[in-house]
Amino acid sequence: MSALSRRRVLFGGAAVGAGALLTACTSNDPGTDAQVKTNSSGDANAAPGTKVVIGFSAPAADHGWIAAITNNAKAQAAAYTDVELKTVEAGADAAAQRAALATLIAQKPTVLVMLPHDGKELNATGLEAMRAGIPVVNLDRAFPSQAAYRLQIKGDNYGMGLAAGDYIGAQLKAKGVSNPIIGEIPGIDSLELTQERTQGFNTALAAYGFKVANRRPAEFTADSGQASATALLQALPKMDALWNHDDDQGIGVLAAIKQAGRSEFFMVGGAGSKAAIDQIIADNSVLKATVTYSPSMASSAISLARLIGQGKGMTDLVELQVPKEITLASETITKENAAKYAKLGF
Amino acid sequence: MSAPGATGAAVPGAAPVLRLTDVVKTFPGVRALDGVQLEVNEGEVHCLLGQNGAGKSTLIKVLAGVHHADSGEISWLGEPFAPATPQAAMRAGIATIYQELDLVDDLSVAENAFLGHEESRFGFTRRRSSAAKTRQILARLGHPEIPARRLVKHLPAAGKQIVSMARALSHDARLIVMDEPSAVLAHDEVANLFRIIRELTAQGIAVIYISHRLAEIREIGDRVTVLKDGRTTAANLPARTTPTRELVGKMTGRSIEYVFPPRRPRDETEPILVVAGLTRHGEFADATLAVAPGEIVGIAGLVGSGRSELLETIFGARRPDSGTVTMDGRRVTGVGGAVARGIGMAPEERKSQALLLDEPVYKNMTLASFSGFAHGGFTDTRDERAAALKTADLLELRPRDVDRPVRTLSGGNQQKVVVGRWLLGGTKLLLLDEPTRGVDVGARAELYQVIRGLAEDGVAVLLVSSEVPEVLGLADRVLVMREGRLIHEAPADELDEDTVLDLVMAGSLLEGEPA
Amino acid sequence: MTAEAVRAKKPRQIDDGVIRNLGLVGVLIILVVIGIVTRPELYSDPTWVRNNVLTILQQASAIGVVTVGMTFVIIGGGIDLSVGAIIALSGVWATTLATQSYGAAGMIFTALVVGVAVGVVNGVLISYGRLVPFIATLAMLVSARGLAAQISGKQTQVSANDTINNIASTKLIGIPLLVWMLAAVVAAGWVLLNRTTFGRRTVAVGGNPEAARLAGINVKRHTLMLYALSGLCCGIAAIMLTSQATSAQAAMANLYELDAIAAAIIGGTLLSGGRGTIVGALFGVLVFSTITNLFAINNLSTEVQNMVKGGIIVAAVLIQQFRYRSLTQLLKR
Repeated sequence: MSALSRRRVLFGGAAVGAGALLTACTSNDPGTDAQVKTNSSGDANAAPGTKVVIGFSAPAADHGWIAAITNNAKAQAAAYTDVELKTVEAGADAAAQRAALATLIAQKPTVLVMLPHDGKELNATGLEAMRAGIPVVNLDRAFPSQAAYRLQIKGDNYGMGLAAGDYIGAQLKAKGVSNPIIGEIPGIDSLELTQERTQGFNTALAAYGFKVANRRPAEFTADSGQASATALLQALPKMDALWNHDDDQGIGVLAAIKQAGRSEFFMVGGAGSKAAIDQIIADNSVLKATVTYSPSMASSAISLARLIGQGKGMTDLVELQVPKEITLASETITKENAAKYAKLGF
Repeated sequence: MSAPGATGAAVPGAAPVLRLTDVVKTFPGVRALDGVQLEVNEGEVHCLLGQNGAGKSTLIKVLAGVHHADSGEISWLGEPFAPATPQAAMRAGIATIYQELDLVDDLSVAENAFLGHEESRFGFTRRRSSAAKTRQILARLGHPEIPARRLVKHLPAAGKQIVSMARALSHDARLIVMDEPSAVLAHDEVANLFRIIRELTAQGIAVIYISHRLAEIREIGDRVTVLKDGRTTAANLPARTTPTRELVGKMTGRSIEYVFPPRRPRDETEPILVVAGLTRHGEFADATLAVAPGEIVGIAGLVGSGRSELLETIFGARRPDSGTVTMDGRRVTGVGGAVARGIGMAPEERKSQALLLDEPVYKNMTLASFSGFAHGGFTDTRDERAAALKTADLLELRPRDVDRPVRTLSGGNQQKVVVGRWLLGGTKLLLLDEPTRGVDVGARAELYQVIRGLAEDGVAVLLVSSEVPEVLGLADRVLVMREGRLIHEAPADELDEDTVLDLVMAGSLLEGEPA
Repeated sequence: MTAEAVRAKKPRQIDDGVIRNLGLVGVLIILVVIGIVTRPELYSDPTWVRNNVLTILQQASAIGVVTVGMTFVIIGGGIDLSVGAIIALSGVWATTLATQSYGAAGMIFTALVVGVAVGVVNGVLISYGRLVPFIATLAMLVSARGLAAQISGKQTQVSANDTINNIASTKLIGIPLLVWMLAAVVAAGWVLLNRTTFGRRTVAVGGNPEAARLAGINVKRHTLMLYALSGLCCGIAAIMLTSQATSAQAAMANLYELDAIAAAIIGGTLLSGGRGTIVGALFGVLVFSTITNLFAINNLSTEVQNMVKGGIIVAAVLIQQFRYRSLTQLLKR
């Protein structure tokens, strides 16, 4: 879900400014359900070590996923007695984030964790921090330069598409559908992440000899999901399967399906939101599965930043240091395994 | 109709530079020009006379390249002439100074003078050279005191007109068309305008001069061509010697003698409008006056004497710094209240201040009263139309079609629509600011009749005009205004034009203070 | 209306938007014909066709309601760039857990009150604060979205209220409730504009504010009311959209301001104020909705769709101007 920030350029760059002025938070407070790694008994790394100051910066959220990233980071840092988290507002765009990070770097944190607005635009800031002796942990949006980060931890957009395509292909094959009609509702189509997901999806479907009959992009919002799904359903009077890239816009997609009174197909979601997981468990809608792109990576990033700061490695690995790159596998959540993932939903 | 070039008092030995033969131009439903003959000689001031709607504006625009004639011949400097664009006309040496000056307020005098043909080198404007040339031209126009680099918006109306002329000269114009140049000028400024025109003609430049004011035509004009309904009804009459009766006759087919309707004796009544000590700093001070029902009170004063501002303040459109306006015993503080108390105003700038040009006549007439016609918030266009039609008949609106967009009406008829608006509202006091500006002689007489008729029906009228004879002829009582103060008050029949002009133009306020 | 009948009328009556709307109806017909030609197998099923018409209307309903309000504002000489943001704020406010606890009536009331209130703020800034409408509503766009993001905690707020959620799936006499709502708003807007003193004032205020003021019309109060009306329409649209998406969020109704302005303009509303038609605006919205539908059933990319939309805006205005001019020319002869 990198480059969600571009959307903010379109609507309400001052959302951040206005948000800073108003502190009231009336409902749906996401702070209560963060994904935190707590069960660490018997792990040598769990014992408090040297004090680590972690600087953290992520774009202001206009989407559940980004909100979860920040919340997870804060909650995970709070779980350690030896970690102090210094958060700076990333502002409305890459330039603002650069300025905020410059201030942060001047304060010499032990490790720097950032979800950049744009990996390319903040590459120089990563290099600067590394040169200043501050290890940088890049969250999800890669820097082009290898020297700009100590650790990169990211999700797998292509893998998401693969997983979704694989699940759909297998299901249809099991049902014996030979020439299935498959629909796709991506997010903002001009984003690289969307294109990667679609590529993965098409590749996986091709393995089964299937292809997408119609795709209507939405904008990661529920109302745009509803509009795109309505158009898609109208274009495909009969459908066998549908992949919706994003569970947030999926709320609207599911509403549109209900409004159209359609149920002849099954649907796969994307990202792995709590609402989607709950619905898969309930099994009362067309949504049968979702493929993850979990914001839990922020929690992991804080844990690994602490280890880097303390010079420790991951205890299950042979290496004495934390590896340089970690790509989360996109997992497929179905009714069978949903209970296990419920706490990772955001 | 006289044949072109048959008679007249042209400058001796001068050759015709412009000749129009049977020029026709049609618009939807109108033959705006229906056979125009015109001949203009080098170095002459050729006056164009005609009622509003006679085709003068269209004729100017044909010469300026805005419109293209449908048929007929135009020859310019002996060659056939059909400018495709205003720029082409300019390049050919014909410049036009429109009534509404087409200057850019936020550019300097020099930039305006060279607008559209800026001197430039490598894409950069040559400001210094333009300014120098502009200074030369301004000097030639007798106005070296106007700074070439000053923004036009800081200049008075007369100064803007000079800039317009400077623009014409910047093109080396050989013919300058002036559309009612004196309309925006105060008395003494007109004299200066004439001095400039004489200098231009002495340099061989021809001038087409359009005005409604016969006195001006007598003073500055060489020959006169009269238009009526898009046709030339008389060409090349001597400007100084042709009898007024003949000119007006050619224009309207009627005589000017009974322009002002007779006053009738009036009973003394309590005033309906009382203005006490009204002041707006920098505009007018301590204005005190009263108007009674059925009475016409005229304010005579020059442009800039504060009379329009005073009228707008009485109407509540401007907030006074001190003083009170009382209508029918109740205070007036805003336009809404003024209208509710029965005050109506016909502002000075009809098009920009009073009319919805694209809307039909009837909606313009009912603009102040449509709520009164409405039932429960729903408009009643049938009643509105009927009422508007009645008013149109009363005012002799032409054409008698209340569904026609106001834009298509002549100036005089537009003014009737504005006046008609207040007749529909049951208005008790009518404020008229320059009611006959841009209105032709025939329509003026009708307007005077209408105003007098209203007064006889008991409407109080407060009238502002810069034309002294109009105030004297129409009003019962006259107030003279100068430099923001009302300096004299007298019944109209106890004053004459010279007295009033002396009063408005006297040197200082104290010195001229009458008893 | 036959060609003879048109010709028999006086030129001024062409101004009534008839020709402009005819142009848009032509565009609509062309779009439908393209649909039939490209997807004959879909159009051969009468049930599908009926469904498709209703879908187009339903997807046009929320933006259509917004466009009616926008048309009033533009005729009145203003512009409202904040409509999308007002919808987001109304929708988000109406779906907070606190509001939802008051039930459907509470949610609807909240959406409408928030819409009107934001409209009133716009109106006060513009009429009494003398801000340029473009600036005032641009500022409102930014800050209303900001406030919506703050209230929602940047999350998608799901509506748990079945009454609200069912609005989008309810049908009356076979026609979706949303389409009835659009029809009601358009009809009310038409009457308001063409048959009431409010409408007359709107035209006067937009056509010549100074003349309106000197005729005793309270221009400031009326301008304020126009923005409040636009806000009210946004509140209604927020309920419709929230019902359709069964949720609301700060980023909803993205770029609705542009769609609404474009629909009003191609519907024959003069951007400088003083002239415009409600029916034309409705046709403008339907053209956009039909284009979306046409591209969907042909599986064409949305990038091309946006280009075509832009092209249609330019073409529609050009064609109308041309047709208007040539027809007036014709009538002159």
